[in-house]
Amino acid sequence: MIMRGALVDPVMASAPSGLWRDALRRLRRNRLAMIGVACMTLFFAAAILAPVIAPYASNDMSGPSLSGPSAAHLFGTDLLGRDVFSRVLYGAQISLFVGVFAVVLALIIGTTFGAIAGGYGGRVDGIIMRATDVLLSIPTILLAIGIVTWLGQGLPQLVLAIAVGYAPVFARLLRGSLLALREADYVIAARTIGGSNSRILMRHMLPNALTPLIVQATLVLATAIIDIAGLGFLGLGPADPRTPEWGTMLVDARRFMQTAPHIVFFIGGAIVISAIGFNLLGDGLRESLDPKLKR
Amino acid sequence: MTEKSATPVSAGHLLTVSDLTVRFRSHGEAVYAVNGVSFDLDAGETLGVAGESGCGKSVTNLAILGLLPQPAGRVEAGSVQLSGRELTTLREEELRKVRGSEIAMIFQDPMTSLNPVLRIEEQLIETIRAHRDVTVQAARERAIELLVAVGVANPESRLRSYPHEFSGGMRQRVMIAMALALEPRILIADEPTTALDVTIQAQVLDLLRRLTAERGTATILVTHDLGVLAGMADRINVMYAGKVIESGTTEELFAHPRHPYTVGLLRSIPRLDGEAGGKLVPIEGRPPDLVAEPVGCSFYARCAWRQERCALEAPALVQIDGGTQPIVTTGAGATHVAACFNPVAQAEVAEGRPAAGRR
Repeated sequence: MIMRGALVDPVMASAPSGLWRDALRRLRRNRLAMIGVACMTLFFAAAILAPVIAPYASNDMSGPSLSGPSAAHLFGTDLLGRDVFSRVLYGAQISLFVGVFAVVLALIIGTTFGAIAGGYGGRVDGIIMRATDVLLSIPTILLAIGIVTWLGQGLPQLVLAIAVGYAPVFARLLRGSLLALREADYVIAARTIGGSNSRILMRHMLPNALTPLIVQATLVLATAIIDIAGLGFLGLGPADPRTPEWGTMLVDARRFMQTAPHIVFFIGGAIVISAIGFNLLGDGLRESLDPKLKR
Repeated sequence: MTEKSATPVSAGHLLTVSDLTVRFRSHGEAVYAVNGVSFDLDAGETLGVAGESGCGKSVTNLAILGLLPQPAGRVEAGSVQLSGRELTTLREEELRKVRGSEIAMIFQDPMTSLNPVLRIEEQLIETIRAHRDVTVQAARERAIELLVAVGVANPESRLRSYPHEFSGGMRQRVMIAMALALEPRILIADEPTTALDVTIQAQVLDLLRRLTAERGTATILVTHDLGVLAGMADRINVMYAGKVIESGTTEELFAHPRHPYTVGLLRSIPRLDGEAGGKLVPIEGRPPDLVAEPVGCSFYARCAWRQERCALEAPALVQIDGGTQPIVTTGAGATHVAACFNPVAQAEVAEGRPAAGRR
């Protein structure tokens, strides 16, 4: 983790028990969360192993146009005769790439502002929180559409658009936890032994405020995957229309829903499985990490 | 003992609090939390502070360390001097050096005063390294020493435990180790045993007494448990509504309480030599709402000894029997002072009400 100093690392490594181990044990017992983990594993495996498993390149016109599922083409082919199975696999790569980067970026922006607001308070807090109010009042997808239209299409723009949309969520969440922690006895105790403000914030407050962020990040990843597909569906996906992005593929496939419904079905299924996977895992994490829900 | 930098201002006392006034202001309202508290503390002394909840005991301590909740809490008047050095006007940076290494604090609830995500080791080492330029290894050895001193068994393996793996009493021992890590000259213990059960209380108090005596640490022991004070404190300040209303050596105060509030406090605790089945006598009424600016004696409304002037005029903390000796504020010969126009006579103490014909 970010705030773990060098001096404690060897100690942490040999933990006999602890918060994380407990949380993991509770998570294992949660059946829904385990289904989530399975979906996620499927998603990650598809993304990472796409070059290995995919029988064709993403733009390889390897078969007849709009053929149904067969041994050669598991999910059939699209209008241009490209293998849908391969394209779904490569699509997972894009969703994972954009989704993870967007969430990480949102986390970085959000926690920075949230920590400043919650840790120092006063006028800075007021300004940051009003700014997040403004951002939160705009629907994420609308904000993303605006940013992509402004900056032009492309994967980096997509990442930024989604990150800006979700950063306020993290900022507000962290600020809330920090405000509660400011009056915590151990924070006051740390002050009485002469800890500096930044040290107390980094070492005593942030680590105690992290769990809700982890849960939220997992849940936001699910929404981000849907948002990416949504933007692609609206024609705001990657600049190159041949890119196997799920939303872009879906809007192409939609035109043949009458004649070749399987294409929509498989692409939609991929989106649903990955979104549900992260959602279930997020809920499971919330339950296993929140001490109030313990046992 | 440690009076190197004594100045005339503090007259040689380790800690001098004079006329300390703290207000909390928010939304146009003010809470008169501490209203002119003065006391002195010498090295090696244990000063007990007694009083009910909300009488300003803890706020006084936080004000000494400059840790009043911001932005509402402010020291509006008075001074706090540590060996003649003014603390109330000190910059935050300088104050941080004082905290922990010169004045340390122990809190009421050991269950919540240790950071749950950090190992004991990390918290102890951090405390030491925040003030001393030592290696991690040296700090670690010191941490082990401290745990041994406070009676934690297997200190080396216990260092690696998280707070939740300790019992309440053990956690309070760790808190004490942490507070004493830097050999502070003053230890403020804010109800250190209130959250512990009685047998553990005795052990922790014993430990506290032994360690502070060994090190010559001056202690401010805040508690509402008069029994604890009787056993631990050299002197006692009784506080009410943000003021010290009576002060004297423990022996003197228990034997000859003069302020009606002190008398009430003493009558409300069970006594071994009292009659079996005898009822405890509560002090009627409630402490005043500190949102209103105090006028007159703040105990007026609950006092059986009250006179007309008490409603209008706040009594000063003075020698009760009109003694002419100069007031001694510290040590075994500290003068017994009380803030009362109509102090309780010795004969009335047992009765708990004014003798007939007085009033």
